[in-house]
Amino acid sequence: MKLVVNGAPADVDVPADTPLLWVLREELGLTGTKFGCGKALCGACTVHVDGQPRRSCVTACGDVADHPIVTIEGLAGGADPAVLHPVQQAWLEENVPQCGYCQAGQIMTAVVLLRARPRPTDAEIDDAMSANLCRCGTYPRIRRAVHRAAELLAAGAGK
Amino acid sequence: MTAWSRRGFLQGLLVGGGALALAACGGGGSALRIQHAEQTGELVANLYITVLPTGRVALIVNKAEIGQGVTTGYATLVADELAVPLDHIDVHFAGSNREMRTSSNLQITGGSTSTFEAFVPLRRAAATAREMLIAAAAARWQVPAKDLRAIDGHVVHGDARLAYGELTRSAARMAVPDAPRLKTASEFTLIGKVDRRIDARGKVDGHAKFGIDVQVPGMCHAFAIHGPVFGARPTAVHADAARRRPGVIDVIAFDWGVAVVAEKFWQARAAAAEVEVTWSKGAAAGLHTADLQRAMRGHDGSGPVARRDGDASDALAHAEIRVGGVYEAPYLAHAALEPNNATVSVTGGKAEVWASTQSPSIAQAFVAHAIDIDQDDVKVNVLLCGGGFGRRAIGDACAQAAQISQRVKRPVKLIWTRESDMTQGWYRPVYAAKVEGALRGGKVTGARVHLMSQSIALSGKTLFSAMLSTVPAPLARMVTDAALAVFSTSSFGDVFAAEGINNTPYQLGGFELSTEPVQTQLPVSFWRSVGNSVTGFVMEGLIDELAVAARQDPFALRRALLPGRARQRRVLDALEELAGWATPPPPGIGRGLARHFAFETEVAQVAEVAIVDGRIKVRRVYCVVDCGLAVNPDIVVAQMESAIIFGLSAALDQEITLVDGVVQQRNYDGFPLLRMFECPEIIVKILPSEERPTGVGEPGLPPIAPAVANAIYQLTQVRLRALPLQRAWNAAPRATGGAA
Repeated sequence: MKLVVNGAPADVDVPADTPLLWVLREELGLTGTKFGCGKALCGACTVHVDGQPRRSCVTACGDVADHPIVTIEGLAGGADPAVLHPVQQAWLEENVPQCGYCQAGQIMTAVVLLRARPRPTDAEIDDAMSANLCRCGTYPRIRRAVHRAAELLAAGAGK
Repeated sequence: MTAWSRRGFLQGLLVGGGALALAACGGGGSALRIQHAEQTGELVANLYITVLPTGRVALIVNKAEIGQGVTTGYATLVADELAVPLDHIDVHFAGSNREMRTSSNLQITGGSTSTFEAFVPLRRAAATAREMLIAAAAARWQVPAKDLRAIDGHVVHGDARLAYGELTRSAARMAVPDAPRLKTASEFTLIGKVDRRIDARGKVDGHAKFGIDVQVPGMCHAFAIHGPVFGARPTAVHADAARRRPGVIDVIAFDWGVAVVAEKFWQARAAAAEVEVTWSKGAAAGLHTADLQRAMRGHDGSGPVARRDGDASDALAHAEIRVGGVYEAPYLAHAALEPNNATVSVTGGKAEVWASTQSPSIAQAFVAHAIDIDQDDVKVNVLLCGGGFGRRAIGDACAQAAQISQRVKRPVKLIWTRESDMTQGWYRPVYAAKVEGALRGGKVTGARVHLMSQSIALSGKTLFSAMLSTVPAPLARMVTDAALAVFSTSSFGDVFAAEGINNTPYQLGGFELSTEPVQTQLPVSFWRSVGNSVTGFVMEGLIDELAVAARQDPFALRRALLPGRARQRRVLDALEELAGWATPPPPGIGRGLARHFAFETEVAQVAEVAIVDGRIKVRRVYCVVDCGLAVNPDIVVAQMESAIIFGLSAALDQEITLVDGVVQQRNYDGFPLLRMFECPEIIVKILPSEERPTGVGEPGLPPIAPAVANAIYQLTQVRLRALPLQRAWNAAPRATGGAA
């Protein structure tokens, strides 16, 4: 089966009903995408498929063959691995992560929110980000970081 | 990872031991230190700190990073005292190492002790390295050491500078100072000032390695099938179809369940769906938590007195007003986002473990017990933890993975499903507390608390044997059994259950605290703030009931009950101002106050609460904390936010219930965590202090449940004495059918 992950083609030999999460983690070694609940309840496994957030733990990889998939490792997408995506940069500036386990999913969700709503209100952030659980309780910082990311994106960072 | 290898020097320099006096690597260590420096250019100042010829500093952190920020805190202590930039420190987690057992003869991350424990010794270790580097420069320049200064990774004399990396070889030949000078608080350049975390980068770019991410050469994967009833054993396993699936290596029955082992986890997971298991009745069969809680609520028992001030019976007998009732709290799961998992390789009577664990020592004990080898033959490598909260102090997944590895003769990564993680025990214990308070002449004259709780100590057989690891195994088992036999008698006042009340700073007149153990087959354990997670709710509910009955302001009554308690009172004073308590809340908002002292830290909170369409909504929380000197103030704020949100999830909604031994909550739909749209605004103030740092990871939790319950009372005059509060509110009899 042919997947397109972080801009590169990847051939994987797995049954079509294998969850994308485990294909990413085990076949492609992309362990930044996390297993949390296995039931699309927590959002730790969120990746982008066709630019939209998808719960990779309940997405059959056969359903997304040939569709562009982006994981946390490929989010910044630049030639220089030291350069972060503005949302990742905002996460650093606001000291968001504690244990950090949910944050890849949080960031992937926030990126899609900011594409649709470049200057989101608190209510819009609550709406979008309530899909992702954080057991450490970093929500106040996530909200601040989304606003910060909006500023960075508006200032043209990461272009 | 740098080119630096910690194995080389640890194996060499640990000979002779004595590492707990962190700085004391002298004596027998000096020849090895010199030899190592000649070979590598590395200055191994002590067990914890190595200065590399590049000028970077390798720091061994003897704690787990569970999100509480210990790596940043420890790096800050070292960087400040060693006079290097914070980003010159590379953190390495200590594996299992007898020399690094610092708490109760364990390597363990818990009890909010890490910064409290290391504040002086770790700085002393860093100052030792600094003085050796200065001595080396003094020798090279032929000037007195007292004329030199350490600045920014250099030793400086006038305009002359030598980078630490140029000094490591010669510094290894210098005497280890007995009592290196530590900076005074006014000299700190990083402590109290750093506002970044050093572990954030890998956590936002996806490269941070948690236990679940470990790759070991030759490794296979295991999926665990646990029984429906807690403690059920497989009695028959039909796995022919599963065994024929691609990649499947074996399907193995153990006492604890069935392991499906395959090359890849996705293969094991798919094959597990085709395994049919018949289960035994299970240890917890017959356990109905509704019946248990009803029995506890109605139980009129007694137990050993854990604290007695004056004569509580007399105060209650002569009271003009009596308040109180039965306070209750359910079992709770930890529900960390990273499910329980472990990677273990068993070969030739030895085991190597890679795990996100809060305690390498307890993991050693679990593994040793599971495959019947010595604890010293278990090596544990510690990885980042995707949350801990106490659950990762338990080595059950390590033990299971070890048994599987022993059978398939390969390294195995075992990953539990969320459903296993939530249903396989080690919960915060269930509680009920009978509470009475007495008032006479408008003053508090006494109180009595009888606390019933399932004992963590009784669940802790393996924990105890970890502490006894220096004793030969059969003797350790006998000692453990004897100790637990004592704990299981009603004459033992359970210290974990009673903490937070047995040390209450309140002067209540006649006061009596007694405890009584409750026993079930469900193992219980440490859960963020442990007994304080309930005793704060009990005590602050009682105090609020007394304030209401005495028609006194809750701040004023607490001050009256805290004579001479300067620390408690300054926190209350600051909170009263921060929360704008003098101004009444707007209509439809109730405000509640609670405070608690735990892990040597005082925290007080005011919650602002509304009830909207029957749902308890916490709009805002004000929090004041006195934790001594805040090494990293932003992390202290983050931990207060974290504990408040974690505590609020439990206060409002969470409970683990069982019906005939079956845990009813299996995933986050049944055991909800607060989501962002319900997250209150949180305003934290840290009181300035130059006292030794005290606990931060847990003490923010105990006040939030009582603050919310007290706010609900103020808003509705309905006293909620049972957690979770939303269930109690839904069930509470009230005239109006819901306020606001």
